[in-house]
Amino acid sequence: MRQFFKTFKVAFKAINKNRTRSLLTMLGIIIGVGAVIMTISAGEGATKQVQDQISGLGTNLLIIQVKQERRGGISVRKGKELSPKDYDILKNNSVWLDKVSPMVVAGGQAISTQGYKSTLVYGVSQDYFHIMSREVVSGEAFSELDVQLAKQVCLVGKTIQEELYGGENPIGRTIRIDKVPFTIVGLLEEQGQGGMGSDQDDMVVAPYTTVQNRLFGNPNFNVFMASAVNENKIEDAEVEATILLREAHKILANQEDDFDITTQVELNEITGEITSILTILLGAIASISLLVGGIGIMNIMLVSVTERTREIGTRLALGARESDILTQFLIEAIVLSAAGGLIGIALGIIGNQIIYQATDFYVPTAGYAIAIGFGFAAVIGIAFGYFPARKAAKLNPIEALRFE
Amino acid sequence: MAAKKVIETKKVSRVFKNGEIEVRALTDVDLIIEEGEFVAIMGASGSGKSTYLNILGCLDLPSSGDYYLDGVHVNTLSKNQLADIRNQKIGFIFQSYNLLSRTTALENVELPLVYDRTARFPNPKEMAENALKQVGLENRMLHKTNELSGGQQQRVAIARALVNDPTLILADEATGNLDSKTSIDIADLFVRLNDEGKTILMITHEPEIAQFAKRIVTFRDGYILKDELIANRSTKESALRDLELTAK
Repeated sequence: MRQFFKTFKVAFKAINKNRTRSLLTMLGIIIGVGAVIMTISAGEGATKQVQDQISGLGTNLLIIQVKQERRGGISVRKGKELSPKDYDILKNNSVWLDKVSPMVVAGGQAISTQGYKSTLVYGVSQDYFHIMSREVVSGEAFSELDVQLAKQVCLVGKTIQEELYGGENPIGRTIRIDKVPFTIVGLLEEQGQGGMGSDQDDMVVAPYTTVQNRLFGNPNFNVFMASAVNENKIEDAEVEATILLREAHKILANQEDDFDITTQVELNEITGEITSILTILLGAIASISLLVGGIGIMNIMLVSVTERTREIGTRLALGARESDILTQFLIEAIVLSAAGGLIGIALGIIGNQIIYQATDFYVPTAGYAIAIGFGFAAVIGIAFGYFPARKAAKLNPIEALRFE
Repeated sequence: MAAKKVIETKKVSRVFKNGEIEVRALTDVDLIIEEGEFVAIMGASGSGKSTYLNILGCLDLPSSGDYYLDGVHVNTLSKNQLADIRNQKIGFIFQSYNLLSRTTALENVELPLVYDRTARFPNPKEMAENALKQVGLENRMLHKTNELSGGQQQRVAIARALVNDPTLILADEATGNLDSKTSIDIADLFVRLNDEGKTILMITHEPEIAQFAKRIVTFRDGYILKDELIANRSTKESALRDLELTAK
């Protein structure tokens, strides 16, 4: 043990003597560890953002959809469309569903006096705002009466306000969607970027009756958005809605549902899976740079062994055992990669901060990313340091002393 | 009562095999060196003197024959034991000094103590300082090796060879890289160390340096050609005088 400490000191002095080279050797590891930390953190940040958005949808959300089947990459409707009758049943006969809103979505061209823009029009009921926890920052949401009368009123998102009204208050103004004029009654709270880069503020929300009558021409729905009475009753609400819809659709006991119900919990799980795959993928790519860094260390250590052949010969002649030389060079490699790892961690954290400051994309520096980066660096130090160290230890002292 | 045998080789031979070709570097070398001797080994290059020195220095083992260093039968030792015996019993001095670059004289001299496993030296720094004083470098201890002259560097190397209090000092062409005057200084230092009781064996091809020793062993073609005691040893003064005469 005492010998180990002495050898450690020797290794440390050797590193210190060649500061420039040591730093260059570390560079690969520094960049590798920094990259691992930053990519893993970016993945974590994306995960967190998506999850925040999903929970922003309301914690007790249920999405009831017509069953779809993927055939050759195209989604094809498999079940029956959801009808106004289904809506009534869910709204009136359910105990665990708090509120239900149909949703029809149509793409359309929105035109104001100042410009035009293609956007998405959501046809929903007055309960939509509550279910989705969407706040109205200016003006107000449309009422049940507006829905019943299929009034041509709507609310718009921030993007529409900015692009079609130059950021001015749009309330009371008219917006045309595919030639149908709507009066803007409210402005929706800003939501920011969606999980997959979609703009959640680029939307127009109108009574579903109006959208169906004026834009869609179909009395049925594809989707219901609903909320359970509370978070603990999501599963009960799901079961209940299933029973009610099976009954309404006259599905026999041995037949499958012709609709899908997705809950908040399931949504979280799915996105969690997707984002963790993303994180692993990014981390794997970054690990390659770490590997390259390790090979760099091996390279320099091999050069260093050749360059210091005489020194090694001298040490052997003065009584160093093979194990002393092996340990010395191994420690040098490990210290270099560990130091590189530490600097890389600092770089990663700083890099994350810079990204956060510059783009507002919150990147939490994950503790396990630091652990992985550092652990990997240490392992690489041992793995790639061993070969040169062994080469040094196996040198014949006589030949080493004669080496020019 | 005879003095202690520091070195005893009995019929030591060394054969190098290079594929099919066998090269006999040493043939049946018998030699005894006792404590307190100062021996110069001479011989043309290829005479086997370096091979012999490597065996004496426990860097190489004989192909046949026996080698006893300070009573230890070296042939039977393992690699680690060879390393330890080098560390404890031998002080090496090389032609090109082999000091660690960009390292202070003091640290260089401490180097053998780094590998000392006997814990004989509780205070390595003090030992190194004493060794440097012995070679007259007390004012250069914290100089880096590249800030020292050739003669000073060789003195550092000699201090390094002294620091572990070895039974035997082996010098391989210690003056080979130095000018004549500095060579005489170094040879004189060897004489002084020998007077203090150190057993010294040096390889040299310079007769005027060999003349400082008490005994000259001459190698030729792998065996000992001559082994003679020196009647009129050189001293620093006589050598310097000779140097001046030859200069004229």
